[in-house]
Amino acid sequence: MSDQRYRIGVDIGGTFTDFALFDEAAAEIAIHKQLTTPDDPSRAVLEGVSAMLRDNGVAIGDVASLAHGTTLVTNALIERKGAVTGMLVTRNFLDVPDMAREQRYDLFDLRLSFPEPLVPRDRRREITERVEFDGNVAEALDLQSAEAAVRDLVETSGIQALAICLLHAYANPAHEQAIEAMVREKFPDLHVSTSADVHAGLGEWERWTTASMNAYTQPLFDRYLSRIEEGLAELGFAGTLYIMTSSGGMLLPETARRYPVRMLESGPAAGVLMSAFHGRALDLDNVLSFDLGGTTAKGALVRGGEPLKTDQMEVARVHDFKRGSGLPARVPSVDMIEIGAGGGSIAWIDERGLLKVGPKSAGADPGPACYGQGGEKASLTDANLMLGFLDPAFFLGGAMSLDKPAAERAITQSVAEPLGLSAMRAAWGIHDIANEDVARAFRIHASERGFDYRQATMIAFGGSGPLQAMAIAAKLNIPRVIFPIGAGVMSAMGLLASPLSFEQARTRRTFIEDIDAAGFEEILVPLIEIAKRPLHAAGLDDAEIDTRIRLDMRYFGQGHEIEVTVPGIGLAQAFANLPAFFAEKYTGLFGVAPLDEPLEIVTWKAEVEGPAPPLRAGYSVTGAPGASPGAGAGALKGSRTCYFGGEATETPVYDRYGLVAGTVIQGPALIEERESTCVITPGHRATVDDALNIVAALEVSS
Amino acid sequence: MSSTGPSAFDAVSLSIMWDRMVAIADEIVSTLVRTSFSTIVRDSYDLSVVILDTKGRLMAQGTYAVPVFIGTAPRTLRYMLEKFPPETLRPGDIIATNDPWIGTGHMFDISMMRPIFKGDRLVGYTMSITHLPDIGGLGFGAAAREIYHEGLRLPICRFAKDGVMDPFLEELIRTNVRVPEQTIGDLVANIACNEVGGPMVTAFMEEYGLESLEPLSDAIGAHSERAMRAKLEEIADGRYENHIQIEGTDGPIPMACSVEIKGGEAVIDFAGTGGCVPRGINVPFCYTNAMSLYAMKCLTIPALPNNSGAVTPITVSAPKGCLLNAQPPFPTGGRHAIGHFVPGLIFGALAEAAPDKIQADCGMMDLMTVQGTHRDGRGISTIYFASGGFGALQGGDGGDCVPGPSNMAVVPVEVWETITGTTIEKKAIVPDSGGPGAWRGGAGQEVVIRNDTGHPMTIFCMANRTEFPPLGYLGGKPGARRVHRLNGAEVDAKGSYVLAPGDRIEMVEAGGGGIGEPRDRDPAMIERDLALGRVTPEGAARDYGYRR
Repeated sequence: MSDQRYRIGVDIGGTFTDFALFDEAAAEIAIHKQLTTPDDPSRAVLEGVSAMLRDNGVAIGDVASLAHGTTLVTNALIERKGAVTGMLVTRNFLDVPDMAREQRYDLFDLRLSFPEPLVPRDRRREITERVEFDGNVAEALDLQSAEAAVRDLVETSGIQALAICLLHAYANPAHEQAIEAMVREKFPDLHVSTSADVHAGLGEWERWTTASMNAYTQPLFDRYLSRIEEGLAELGFAGTLYIMTSSGGMLLPETARRYPVRMLESGPAAGVLMSAFHGRALDLDNVLSFDLGGTTAKGALVRGGEPLKTDQMEVARVHDFKRGSGLPARVPSVDMIEIGAGGGSIAWIDERGLLKVGPKSAGADPGPACYGQGGEKASLTDANLMLGFLDPAFFLGGAMSLDKPAAERAITQSVAEPLGLSAMRAAWGIHDIANEDVARAFRIHASERGFDYRQATMIAFGGSGPLQAMAIAAKLNIPRVIFPIGAGVMSAMGLLASPLSFEQARTRRTFIEDIDAAGFEEILVPLIEIAKRPLHAAGLDDAEIDTRIRLDMRYFGQGHEIEVTVPGIGLAQAFANLPAFFAEKYTGLFGVAPLDEPLEIVTWKAEVEGPAPPLRAGYSVTGAPGASPGAGAGALKGSRTCYFGGEATETPVYDRYGLVAGTVIQGPALIEERESTCVITPGHRATVDDALNIVAALEVSS
Repeated sequence: MSSTGPSAFDAVSLSIMWDRMVAIADEIVSTLVRTSFSTIVRDSYDLSVVILDTKGRLMAQGTYAVPVFIGTAPRTLRYMLEKFPPETLRPGDIIATNDPWIGTGHMFDISMMRPIFKGDRLVGYTMSITHLPDIGGLGFGAAAREIYHEGLRLPICRFAKDGVMDPFLEELIRTNVRVPEQTIGDLVANIACNEVGGPMVTAFMEEYGLESLEPLSDAIGAHSERAMRAKLEEIADGRYENHIQIEGTDGPIPMACSVEIKGGEAVIDFAGTGGCVPRGINVPFCYTNAMSLYAMKCLTIPALPNNSGAVTPITVSAPKGCLLNAQPPFPTGGRHAIGHFVPGLIFGALAEAAPDKIQADCGMMDLMTVQGTHRDGRGISTIYFASGGFGALQGGDGGDCVPGPSNMAVVPVEVWETITGTTIEKKAIVPDSGGPGAWRGGAGQEVVIRNDTGHPMTIFCMANRTEFPPLGYLGGKPGARRVHRLNGAEVDAKGSYVLAPGDRIEMVEAGGGGIGEPRDRDPAMIERDLALGRVTPEGAARDYGYRR
């Protein structure tokens, strides 16, 4: 360990693959960027690791671990590039994936699109078996016909992966497991997922869909991990490879291979984790993590240093990012909102005759008009260029130049003239409306979760996040915005701030009056053991593992549950106090007195976590392109004319890498770094703190 | 600020301020949903939140409103202000009613209004409407023969002062409902959401320096009205009619409508519709009006936010005393059972005039109330939903098992079996049930439920489309009709039955109607239907003349 003083974080994004190299002994982080290689994402990872180690004079043998985040699984689902997958279901329920929720997500638009099931009906087969809600086997499994069904799927459809999805398998997985064992023996080349193993929760459509996602992405994810493992081995890597999950924990490759669906939001989760890290380091109660990239913005809420979590995700939405238009994934995840507002978002005129921005995006090709690749529609990036926030000669640190006349032409022709606006007013409108859209999404997300954002701090990152953040904060009446150091590789750094962790949930409807403390432990202890397995496999012993129990509970007769976190006071004592814990949560939520109804536990959740990673506040960041530590005098680069809604304002431009701790900058000001530009809006003041984060304070009305 | 439209706001500032008003309504909705007690509010979104100006015009409505709440709030507010004139209102007052004729058509819906004060000046109103879990009487359904059977009817009243519920009214409601905690819990959520709404509106006014909401309301109304007129002008002027029959509880009921389109305006009337019946399915006019406006919105600009301007070009009427303009004391508890036919009635009238916009009939939802005893002896009282197929549109097949015009999520098989102790033997799409057409109607489904509780179990059904199937238009054929079977024998789908242990109830849901001639269907689409089991080879040959 004394030799292995380095840790690496690698996050693959749409355009760039980001790297962070942490030197534990020196508490220094070096960062690196490499163009993403979409045809084989592992190539950029391996090339980048070599390049970064070479640049920093580090031997790969001195690297203890490499933590990896990737959106490979999400992309495979969005682009439908997964394996040819088959599905076995309980007889008489073949159509469950097609019937879905039997609900429209928009009442007025009669032309809704719904996502096609990942496994089309002709690749599903019915199995004779039936388990009841209490786990009782009502009809025995016909294993022979199951084998025939799998053989048929292999021979007629050429399936590479199989999802085994039976009713009530969360209550009794025996039939799913028996089929799985048969398939592993008779069809060793097939990738197999069973629904209760992937998600042991109630609700067949959601569980089966989650399992089919897992199966669908397993072959591809397996191959990808193998390439990374082999490539790293060739480089001489002798440390441990960790993969980031959607909930911000680390897994060994073996567990990750089994549950690729848990990696859906792996990269974005790492960014939120880093926001949480900064929140803890700066002692902030409530944080809004805000990332705005090329096509979408992502937001998350952090309370008391912990990101809010969810186990209800929706993937690959098919209708303008609308909630309900995607596929459900029941996996533990950081609770993120995705907003159809990014640099490439296109401005248009709606049916009311008013200006709108997004969710349609110019993407990377043709991209915004100013990319000069033939895009003719005005995008947010075009507007920001016209408003002076971007330097046409210093985009991506000068790696790309922007065509300002093309941006102006696009805005004039597609928006300003039809609406009778000046081009500058239209550009400001695009900027302002995008901010309003993000602010609105945050407001609703926060108020649905009872999160008071008004005294919160926003932490902004991503290509365009720092550019829009202060204006959004002003709309939300938020007093502070932080532009963290290393914001351009935020997710890669977040990978260094993540512990090993795993979560296991299971639906088992139980009235608490029907069990005693021993019965309570009888259900929880095996669940905790399953959750701990991946951590034990990583070499941790029980003393190093922190366990947290959460229970979804409700009164008998109520249709919805409330999640109760059980404090770490021993299971027997926790059981005795369950009604009190529930009552407290209940009264807080509804403002009415608790009821005198039987209480039931519906879903049981065990979350286990290894020791905190070594990343601590106070590290320094080196290796940033253009970095010149201590060169404060060189920070002021020049000035540009910017438009903040009204008059043209001459605005000083600073080089972020030249700023030293304690510097105070009065807005309006632009602070440029390679990946983005921090816009300090007029009338507000920003300070560079000791860790070189930029902290901007806003005057807010109380 | 430059002025290009019919208002003092340009296309940027109006976009931002208008959408902000809608966002405020949405934020009030999320507070209401988060703090509501009952499932009907939290999961079914059977609620609405609106913001109105001092002239009583609706400026913004929460995005997730169900159709029944379109256009009702301004009328409700008008009645409220007649009884409690604006100059008598104080900050913290809540005015409420559940009167079907003043509110939204049945007594389950409570409307709560709170005035918004900026300083000591009244600048507008917020109103929330939710479906309460119980309001006494016979309970949810159509069994009542008079409105007096349907529970507690609250005339317009000052429900809260200084934000605190009137103690007498609270006691009155507690005394009259079956689930007082749930009902009071939802009433508290309504009071609370209106309390947070007002300050959001005044903070918005501060931010944009607005002294009053009226200029913004003028602009919102004018833009909406202009957009709506432009869309209505796309439909050729003329008078269009439709006459259908639907199934009543005591025999067929005629329904009729005429839609007159003239120069960007629409006049809709329901003369020719049958009279009221002594069952709880009569429709007060406010509900007929809402469903008519819903249909016109779907046909014109689905994404246009709801407000008073958007409905100005549309006039709706129905003869007093007919089923769609029911008068007291006819009961109205299940007014949706009839009212949900209104959109299809209007679509049918406009089929030739707006062929690329209208939708063929939907198979609609099937709601079955189940009461009995679980295997463990605990009581069961719950509702099962199953959806028929969605009607086709020109250019798009109707969704299979997609509900319309109402919208409730299905109860998953695993959840249903857990809460009832029954067994769902089968839940499957019915092939050949979607109405054939160039664009196929959505398929229906078959659900078989077996009483495995070990106790007798009572079911109540109020299903339709058993006699008159969902119609197709423009050459499209009807979807398959709905059938209920008890132990294999067809039974009346509007009946109540007791299932002995082991008995089976089978619900076969109707398919949606098709659009366009079946022979014009793209053969590739028929092949796809065959591969995915939506159409059988025999059905393809019979309905489409298609052979492989």
